[in-house]
Amino acid sequence: MGIVLIHLLNSLLYASVLFLIAGGLSLIYGVMRIVNLAHGNLYALGAYVSAWVIGQWLTGAPLGVLYLLLPVGAVAAALVGAVLEPTLLRRFYKRPEEYQLLITFGLLMILEDALRLVWGPYPLSASVLWESVGSISIGDSLYPTYNLIVIAVGGIAAAFLWAFVYRTKFGVVLRATSQDMRMAAALGVDVNRVYIQAFTIGCFMAGLGGAIIVPSQSAVLGMGVDALILAFVVVVIGGLGSLEGALAGALIVGFVREAGIALFPEIELAVLYLIAAIVLLARPAGLFGRPA
Amino acid sequence: MLELDGVNTFRGPAQILRGVSLRVGDGEAVCLVGRNGAGKTTTIDSIMGLLPVRSGRVVFRGHDITRLPPHRRARHGIGYAPEDAGIFPDLTVAENFEITRWLAGGERAGAAAAGIDERIAAVFPEVSSFLTRRGLHLSGGQKKMVAIARAMALSPAILLLDEPFEGLAPVVVSRFIDAVKRIKAMGISVLIAESNLVNAMRVADRLYAIDRGEIIFHGDPREAFANAEVMKTLRG
Repeated sequence: MGIVLIHLLNSLLYASVLFLIAGGLSLIYGVMRIVNLAHGNLYALGAYVSAWVIGQWLTGAPLGVLYLLLPVGAVAAALVGAVLEPTLLRRFYKRPEEYQLLITFGLLMILEDALRLVWGPYPLSASVLWESVGSISIGDSLYPTYNLIVIAVGGIAAAFLWAFVYRTKFGVVLRATSQDMRMAAALGVDVNRVYIQAFTIGCFMAGLGGAIIVPSQSAVLGMGVDALILAFVVVVIGGLGSLEGALAGALIVGFVREAGIALFPEIELAVLYLIAAIVLLARPAGLFGRPA
Repeated sequence: MLELDGVNTFRGPAQILRGVSLRVGDGEAVCLVGRNGAGKTTTIDSIMGLLPVRSGRVVFRGHDITRLPPHRRARHGIGYAPEDAGIFPDLTVAENFEITRWLAGGERAGAAAAGIDERIAAVFPEVSSFLTRRGLHLSGGQKKMVAIARAMALSPAILLLDEPFEGLAPVVVSRFIDAVKRIKAMGISVLIAESNLVNAMRVADRLYAIDRGEIIFHGDPREAFANAEVMKTLRG
């Protein structure tokens, strides 16, 4: 029983981080119709900034302060997003998709090099937070308490985002802009402002994913690309542009990956891509996506 | 209230409007009549800022708004109901209203926020019965009603209605014409793009006829009926 619970928690842990990344990707696509390939390295940026602040810059500071500063990586990713959207990406919204993919792929590469330039090729860690909360006993095994914090943050982020999109004034404006940008503008909505806000929130989510995972695994070069690929599997399954889809996709990928590691580790990733391929064939817009 | 002065507008490389000049006075209902493709929607889009004006001027309440973005024009008091109604499909009717109501309550508080619901109810009382329905599930006539009522929620000084009677049954057209008259009675100016001259005559104080992007007639609607050349052009 204990081992099943541990697998379940591992699935939720993985799904929580994936939801933060894929949810941000989906939010940005839903509003601006741009597939932001740079999203993966905004997740990595969140991890690097939090790891550097907690693991290097403020080493020895009280634990409470370090916990409060953990989201600093998310703030950094959000700030980068708030600068990138109006200065660079906005010019490409009306261009064909291949231009958008090229520019965001270029950004992905530039961010990767920027991370290498600033923090070098070695992993950065913020494991002090992971160690500080110890482990709990589940059956005969020990399970890291910090993982439960990550799961809780993922759940709270999903609930907060749902409430934000469906229960606030800004959420209504955001959904209106995503459905018909031209009409929203004609009704008085400052669409450019909505774009910056949506992009910043999306980047914040990616950065938060990186920030909360970095105490349990180091920030390393290439982590953004790996995360991006899995985030794409999530949004293909759930439906690009749908937050519900991002949540469902993250849970499916989380559970399948965990089952794969336990039951068929050699083909764990292949099974994920197979599921994505089946969804693409059977329902090209994803489980929660709406056909164009 | 609203004035277009020598407006030239392009869609891509094609010039659609050629020196269009027109005027809508305070509390006036003006129709812009023309066949499909004559330039009616392009004129409305140019006023709303949805298409850039290549040359010429759009003046609203004495201010040159030619280079203003659409949202600034809306907030200055230009209401807009497009030909396809432009209802947000996944939003409820109430949420469709809330967007303009918030903007009216924010930037144009005071006169704007007060009495909006009463004015909407006076024009289309039936809208209150489907407030919780999503835009996706409205009929064509309901969508057009919501589009006009939503534009009213911004408390505009002028309403731009693009083909508001198109696709409606004759009895419903009469209902909409009555609604436009009520809007006008509230002191709101109305500019209607319309392809049916008979409908235009029922509602317009003055009429402009447009063909191939040029204004070919301007005056009393009855004069347009009496002008054989205009009638021939409008009927094709």
